[in-house]
Amino acid sequence: MIESFRNIFAIPDLRKRVIFTFLLLAVYRLGAFIPTPGVDPQAIAEFTKAAAGTVLGFLNLFSGGALGRMTVFALGIMPYISASIILQLLTVVWPYLEKLSKEGELGRRKITQYTRYGTVVLSVIQSLGISFFLERTTAPGGAPLVPHPGWGFRLMTVLTLTTGTAFVMWLGEQITERGVGNGISLIIFAGIVVGLPSAILNTITDIKTGSMSIFTVVILIVFMVIVVAAIVYMERAQRRIPIQYAKRVVGRRVYGGQSTYLPLRLNTGGVIPVIFAASIMSFPQTLGQMIQHPWLKRITQALAWGEPMYNLVYFLSIIFFCYFYTSIIFNPEDTAENMQKFGGFIPGIRPGKRTAEFIDKILTRITLVGAIYLALVAILPEILIAGFKVATIPVIGPSLDAVLPRWFTEGLGVKFYFGGTSLLIVVGVAMDTVQQIESQLVMRHYDGFMRRGRTRGRK
Amino acid sequence: MEDTPKVGTGRQAPECRQGSTGLGQAVAKALAFLRISDGNGGSLTPYRETALEILESNLEHLADTDLAAAAGRLKPAAFHRLSIDRLAGEGSSWEPGLEVEVFSLVREAARRAVGLDPFASQLIAGLAMAHGHIAELPTGEGKTLAAVLPASLHALSGRRVHVLTFNDYLARRDAAWMGPAYRMLGLTVGCVQEGMATEEKRSAYACDVTYLTAKEAGFDLLRDGVCLDPADQVLRPFHVALVDEADSILIDEARIPLILAGTTADGFTGLARLAELARLLRPGIEFDVDEDERNIFLTEPGVARAESELGCGNLFSGPATALLAPLRHALHAEHLLRRDVDYIVRNGRVELVDELTGRVADKRHWPDGLQAAVETKEGVRPGCGGSILGSITLQHLLRLYPILCGMTATAVSAADELKSVYGLEVVVVPPNRPSVRIDDDDLIFADRRTRDQAVVAEIERAHATGRPVVVGTGSVEESEQLAATLEHLGIACSVLNARNDEQEAGIIAEAGDLGQVTISTNMAGRGTDIRLGGHDGRNHRRVAELGGLYVIGTRRHESLRIDIQLRGRAGRQGDPGSSRFFLSLEDDLVRRAGIDRLASADRETPPSDEPLDSPAVRRAVLHAQRVAEGACFDARTRVYRYAEVLERQRRQIQERRQELLEKRSTPHLIEARRRERWSELLSAHGEHLLRAVERRLTLTAIDRCWARHLDEMRLLREEIHLVALDGRTPIVEFTRTAIAAFEVLVELVNTEVLELFDGLEITADGVDWEAQRLRGPSATWTYMVNDTAFAPNPLRQLATHTGFGALAALLWSPLLFAWGAYLHWRRRRGRTELGKGPTDRG
Repeated sequence: MIESFRNIFAIPDLRKRVIFTFLLLAVYRLGAFIPTPGVDPQAIAEFTKAAAGTVLGFLNLFSGGALGRMTVFALGIMPYISASIILQLLTVVWPYLEKLSKEGELGRRKITQYTRYGTVVLSVIQSLGISFFLERTTAPGGAPLVPHPGWGFRLMTVLTLTTGTAFVMWLGEQITERGVGNGISLIIFAGIVVGLPSAILNTITDIKTGSMSIFTVVILIVFMVIVVAAIVYMERAQRRIPIQYAKRVVGRRVYGGQSTYLPLRLNTGGVIPVIFAASIMSFPQTLGQMIQHPWLKRITQALAWGEPMYNLVYFLSIIFFCYFYTSIIFNPEDTAENMQKFGGFIPGIRPGKRTAEFIDKILTRITLVGAIYLALVAILPEILIAGFKVATIPVIGPSLDAVLPRWFTEGLGVKFYFGGTSLLIVVGVAMDTVQQIESQLVMRHYDGFMRRGRTRGRK
Repeated sequence: MEDTPKVGTGRQAPECRQGSTGLGQAVAKALAFLRISDGNGGSLTPYRETALEILESNLEHLADTDLAAAAGRLKPAAFHRLSIDRLAGEGSSWEPGLEVEVFSLVREAARRAVGLDPFASQLIAGLAMAHGHIAELPTGEGKTLAAVLPASLHALSGRRVHVLTFNDYLARRDAAWMGPAYRMLGLTVGCVQEGMATEEKRSAYACDVTYLTAKEAGFDLLRDGVCLDPADQVLRPFHVALVDEADSILIDEARIPLILAGTTADGFTGLARLAELARLLRPGIEFDVDEDERNIFLTEPGVARAESELGCGNLFSGPATALLAPLRHALHAEHLLRRDVDYIVRNGRVELVDELTGRVADKRHWPDGLQAAVETKEGVRPGCGGSILGSITLQHLLRLYPILCGMTATAVSAADELKSVYGLEVVVVPPNRPSVRIDDDDLIFADRRTRDQAVVAEIERAHATGRPVVVGTGSVEESEQLAATLEHLGIACSVLNARNDEQEAGIIAEAGDLGQVTISTNMAGRGTDIRLGGHDGRNHRRVAELGGLYVIGTRRHESLRIDIQLRGRAGRQGDPGSSRFFLSLEDDLVRRAGIDRLASADRETPPSDEPLDSPAVRRAVLHAQRVAEGACFDARTRVYRYAEVLERQRRQIQERRQELLEKRSTPHLIEARRRERWSELLSAHGEHLLRAVERRLTLTAIDRCWARHLDEMRLLREEIHLVALDGRTPIVEFTRTAIAAFEVLVELVNTEVLELFDGLEITADGVDWEAQRLRGPSATWTYMVNDTAFAPNPLRQLATHTGFGALAALLWSPLLFAWGAYLHWRRRRGRTELGKGPTDRG
């Protein structure tokens, strides 16, 4: 990877692209500090602080804090992502789009165009919604977020947020076209990691003020390094089933060290199962807020964040969603059929149903490993923060609580910037970004690589 | 000659314009044309003005010899003597006024030597090409003459010009036809034909202007790349390419790469048994075909049957796996390739029919064992298999020319692609005389039978009036069936298809005469000039009074441009004419786009012989064509992108090879690694011989390793789609692997050299090279790249693009969850409904 970076700066064109990318990201950062008119900055800051940990908190994380500060980029890339998801969905169900998607480059360009329009429409709707929400909400201190509500404020919000979104979308496209990597991914990535320096600063302040001991910090750092390493390792882990193609003569020498295989990832679903699980977990709470019922109250209490029941259900639902999502996106029968079409087969196994069964068996096994890993990564940091609240477990709970050490039952009590889910996202996005940039290096500048190869080969 | 002839003095005073009689009228007409038609916005204006100046110049007073002298004088003096390398970056730039001088000279030379005076439209097209653009000149506007203008301009400035024509016949014809004009200007003209002797080719390539097909240029490049003696090479460095029928060559043909193949003895016997087996298997039960009809494969019962018939045990383990590939080819040959559609059998040989031109694609073979399988199916003695010696795509070939320009009748709809791949702009030139051809709306029928009836009825009707009719059908088979039907009705017709291509010129010459009916395939498309009233135009007026030539198409083609070309056979040069397409919902094009659903819906209404007249059907057919165009575009893009890395490697290999070949570099490998034997031989035979031997060995080793590399990459290309399951991009992984393999290649070459050296007997006379040779006749292979075996799955993309996916899941988790559940349900339902096995999935 270091070599890749050296390569980036060895090639003038690429250097230009990298600088261009950084400049645009700086512009994006700048916009994340320009507030929208009419919102009380103090009040919104208080409100945001209170919302940490909820879905809103996550969205704020993704927007690089722009949402929490209500700046012009508060909606950021989100409407674009919604629009493209909706368009992809529509392509499946709406024949017109389905046809269009088959018409090659021109059709795809049209769909891209529709995505852009959809982004603008969605951001108008969302920003209008946000303006109504802001008007009706007060900060925990009681101060209204919007001192002067009314249509003037609403229209102003719609105008600024929609323009901001369109601008971010444009930035993303420009980066994709003239910079390195995928612009949209980079913008998301930038949004997430910019929180890192301030988190470190906060921790340092905490150590200085004595609210956190050096010992805890060291444990935290060690823990973080281990978790990150585990994530990197597990996300890359795959089972490779060797595939033979009819055309290839048996026993032929393979150049470049790559033989053909079917790559089955341990964690096929990526971070999606965790987010599905998290959003399912927040469902009873939301329901509980709307409907008051003693039964429901009992349930919501048991499923409150940090409770053992919560952890258990969360854990199990992650495992469920791992299987669910894997089964949606990886269909052994499709795969087997495609291999059959192109004349590929797993040596010793007949194509078709047998192959599908074989793939399915392996996939089921490795997904279990992947699912447990994902659930552990999602839950362990949470436990580290809040502790394992054994006291509420029926029967044995209180006695356990008495026996176990306090750091176990109450956690380290730290403001942990990167929870498990955000860690998964950050590491995943970073890995994607590196891979994308590396792919671009391969595709655009293989000349440089090849010349190197030649000189090495010659001596 | 006492007074120096002054050429193209610029704009003359208006009164002088009418000065010379004869010429004056033509000029006046042309000027009127220039002023009236202004459909192209402002971009033509500068060309118009220059064309005006050219038309106003009058060189009638010059003697023939003076013309050449004037051209000769221009050569060194006024031209930018830019090196070709620099030109590539700067585009063609000329001193102002130079175009006027040269074009005026060429115009005069063409008038005298060929008897043609370029119209204003041809001058404008010539200017556009001189500026490095694609000129769109409507069908029948005389592109051949227009090409002479920019070709001369470049040639006079000392650049070698290749005019790349659509086929060999046109290269020969155009070179012979326009040759006198070039020669009058002191330029040499040559024409390269397939199968020419090396010596002839070399002298043709040495000419100032060479007419040839792009394919031949590509094959010569590849053949030069495997020469073992610089004296065998024919090509000179490329300077200028002027592409006739540019959209066809730059776009349509570009999806088929040129591949030079050497013969290898492919020792697989028992093909007949496999062909027999393939014939027995039942479609849909024992084998299946995918939607694009490009892949064919055995189902489980089929595998069982094959295993029992062949008595080979499990086909998918052990040595029996060697049977899989030939069996697949046998199935493909038996069920996917149709005689008289995809190929014809002539003179004991299987000959491919090019789907775009309708002609026999000379020396083109199907890859791997497929050719042998087809030959076995037809009971023809199988030729030999081949190994790839070199390969280049047409896109890459044409980009080797520093200066590229072209002309065609149909460029606008491909303008985007021309711009992005070749950096070429399209300039639309209005016709000299506006076309009065009537293009009637398509008639669409529910099935083939009613369509055929309607076509026959229409031919009968038109024929009764004596109007000449040209019918463009889809295949050799179809053309012959239609001809038989007409014959049965007592209508005499001539058939033009791949089977009787040698009669082409004769059939075309008379196709426009009274009462002629010509049934053709795609062959009557580009470049065929059908003159009304026969080859000498004897009945021109009578035919024109009847409405001119009537062109009937029996199918829409893969691209709208090809349709336009077929229509363009009628109404040339302002002649009357009309065209109409008769389509059916059973046409391949429509069926493949999956619009047969529509057809079946319509069939519920009682079948009728009337054309379907619903806008929905019309739209659906247009959509089908757009889908086909889109698929072709994707296929081309893929071929191009996959060839990109190999092309760079080819150039590196070539560079090194050429250095060796021209003795610009000396390898020292054997000397260093086989010290003992080297010094032994050195004392016995002397250094000169040894160096020659080593050079020769290195060349052979490079060729062998390169051929192996290409072969490996070809296989990799077909297998790489699996990486998509991992969230990686196939093209990136392909490129990555190709680069890694190329790095190893250098070492492999060295190993090969040493191995060859170790096994070599060197005597005082040198070496018996015949035993080492690795060369054979050339052949082209077609291949398609398909790296999208796994349909894009938006939900999978969410999983592999973490940032995007996480945000999307946060925002839309209920929706995504519902979507996933729906997919799950649909898959399960599909499984229970179909029961038998995995076939249909939306």
